Amino acid sequence: MAEPLLTLERIGKVYGDKTALHDVNFSIYPGEFIALVGMSGGGKSTILRLIAQLEQPTSGQIKYADPDMVTRVMFQNDRLLPWMTNVQNLSFKSSDKAQQARAKAMLETVGLQDFPDSYPSSLSGGQKQRLALGRALMADPQLLLLDEPLGALDALTRRKMQDSITEICQQQHLTTLLITHDVEEAARMADRVIVVKDGTNVYEADGAKGQDAATIGTVSEDVLNVILNTPQEV
Amino acid sequence: MDNATDLTRNPKQPRAYSFKQLLPWLIPVGLIIIWQIAGSLGWISTKLLPTPWSVIQDGVSLWQSGELQKNMGISLYRALVGFAIGGSVGFFFGMLNGLSKTARALFDSTIQMLRNIPHLSLIPVVIILFGIGETAKISLVTVGVMFPIYINTFHGITSVDPELIEMGRAYGLSKREMLTKIVFPGALPTILVGVRYALGVMWTTLIVAETISSTSGIGYMATNAQEFMNMKTVLLCIVIYALLGKVSDLIAKLLEDICLDWQAERSR
Ligand SMILES: Nc1ncnc2c1ncn2[C@@H]1O[C@H](COP(=O)(O)OP(=O)(O)OP(=O)(O)O)[C@@H](O)[C@H]1O
Ligand SMILES: [Mg+2]
Repeated sequence: MAEPLLTLERIGKVYGDKTALHDVNFSIYPGEFIALVGMSGGGKSTILRLIAQLEQPTSGQIKYADPDMVTRVMFQNDRLLPWMTNVQNLSFKSSDKAQQARAKAMLETVGLQDFPDSYPSSLSGGQKQRLALGRALMADPQLLLLDEPLGALDALTRRKMQDSITEICQQQHLTTLLITHDVEEAARMADRVIVVKDGTNVYEADGAKGQDAATIGTVSEDVLNVILNTPQEV
Repeated sequence: MDNATDLTRNPKQPRAYSFKQLLPWLIPVGLIIIWQIAGSLGWISTKLLPTPWSVIQDGVSLWQSGELQKNMGISLYRALVGFAIGGSVGFFFGMLNGLSKTARALFDSTIQMLRNIPHLSLIPVVIILFGIGETAKISLVTVGVMFPIYINTFHGITSVDPELIEMGRAYGLSKREMLTKIVFPGALPTILVGVRYALGVMWTTLIVAETISSTSGIGYMATNAQEFMNMKTVLLCIVIYALLGKVSDLIAKLLEDICLDWQAERSR
C-alpha cells in the first residue's frame, strides 16, 4: 500500500479530569473513504478535531506525510455565515475573480445554481448541508473530514446526500473521513469502517461501497454487533 | 370556484394593507384635531395651551427671524460632535475588550464601575470644570453616548457564535479575515442596537444640559421662552425634540436595514 496521508499513534486526549481518548491508532491512506462509527460520547468528534488540528493531543502524535496538507471540515451543523449570500459563503475566503467563478461552478456541483444570491437562512436543511459541502470542496482539500453531516436530514434526503457525497468524492479522488451514528450509512459509503468505543478504536471492517444491499447488510450487522458488544467478541 | 374566490380576494388585499398603515396615525392626528378645535372654540385657555396652529405660526416667525435655524444648528452640532467622540471611544474599548482578554482584565471592571454613575449627575462637575461653554455640553453627551456603545460592542463581540469562529479557524482564516468576515459582521446587529439606544441618550442628555446651562440651542430656547411665559415656543421646542428623536430613530433603522439585509430575509 502507498504511504499513509497521516497516522495516529497512541493518541490520548484528556479534558480536565475526563479522558475523551486513550490509545487511538490508525492510518488514513490516499484516496480511501473511511467511516468512523460508534456510540455517542465515544470520542469520534474528538478524533476529527485532532486531525484537523483544532486541538492538540494530550499524548501520542499524529504524523502527517505533508504537514501543509489542505484539510477541510464539514461540521455536524452547517456553520454557514448568515450574513453572506450562498455564493459568497462558497468564496468567503477570497473574493478574487477566479474564486467567484469557481464558486458559481461549485454551486452547480452541489445543485444550488438557482439560489446564488439569496441567504442561507432561506435554504432548507438539506440545501444548507449541500452548501456546506460545497464550501468544504472549494479549496480542493487533500483530506475531507465530515462530522455527522447528514444527522439532521430526513431519510430520503439523507439517502440522496449519501449518493452525491460518494459521487463527488470518487470524481475528485478525495480522501475522506466520515463520522456517523448510522452503521448502514457507514457500510454503504466507506471502503473501511472503524469502530470507536470508549475513547479508542476497537474494531475495523471492510466497507461495502458500491456493493449490493445484502453485503451492506452483512457488514452493518457485523459492525453493529461490535458496537453493542454482543458476546461473540473476538 | 376556487379561482373565483381568489379573483375577488386579490384586489381587496392592498386596501386592507394601507388601512393598517394608517392606523398608527389615527390617535395622534385625532388628538391634534380635537385640541385645535377645543382651542379655536375657546373651551380651553389658549394662553395656557396654545393651539397647534399657533405653535406652527410661532415656528414660522422664529424661522423667518433666523433664530430657529441658529439654535437648531448649534444643538445639532453639539449632538453630533458628542456622539462622534463618545461613540468612537465606546466602540474602541468595546472592540479592544471584546477581542483581548488582557485588555478586558485591565479595563472592564473599571468601566463597569463608571457606567453605574448616572451621567447627568456629572452636570455640576462639568459646569465647575468647563463653565457653560461648548465643552461642557459636548462632554456630557460624550459620556452619555459612550457606555451604551461600549456595552453593546463588547457584548456583540463576545457573543459571536464560537462555532463560526472555529469554522474560520479550521478554514485557515488569518486574524484579520476572522475579524472582518466573522467577528465584526456577527457583532454588528448588537452594535447597531447600541447605536440606536445611544442616539436616544444623545438627545436627552443634550436637552437637559441645554436647559440647565446654556445661552444657545433648542433647550435654551425653551428655558428662555418659559421665563417670558411663552407657551407657544415651549411647545414648539418639545415638538422639535420629538421630531429630532424620530429622525434619529429612522436613521438608525435605515442603517440596520442596509447593514443587516440578511436578517430581513429570515423574517420574510
Ligand atoms: N471540550 C470538551 N471539554 C470536556 N469534555 C469534552 C470536550 N469535548 C469532548 N468532551 C468529552 O469527550 C468525550 C468524547 O466526545 P466526542 O464529542 O468526541 O464524542 P462523539 O463520539 O463525537 O459523540 P457524538 O456521537 O455524540 O457526537 C465525551 O464524553 C465528551 O463529554
Ligand atoms: Mg460528535
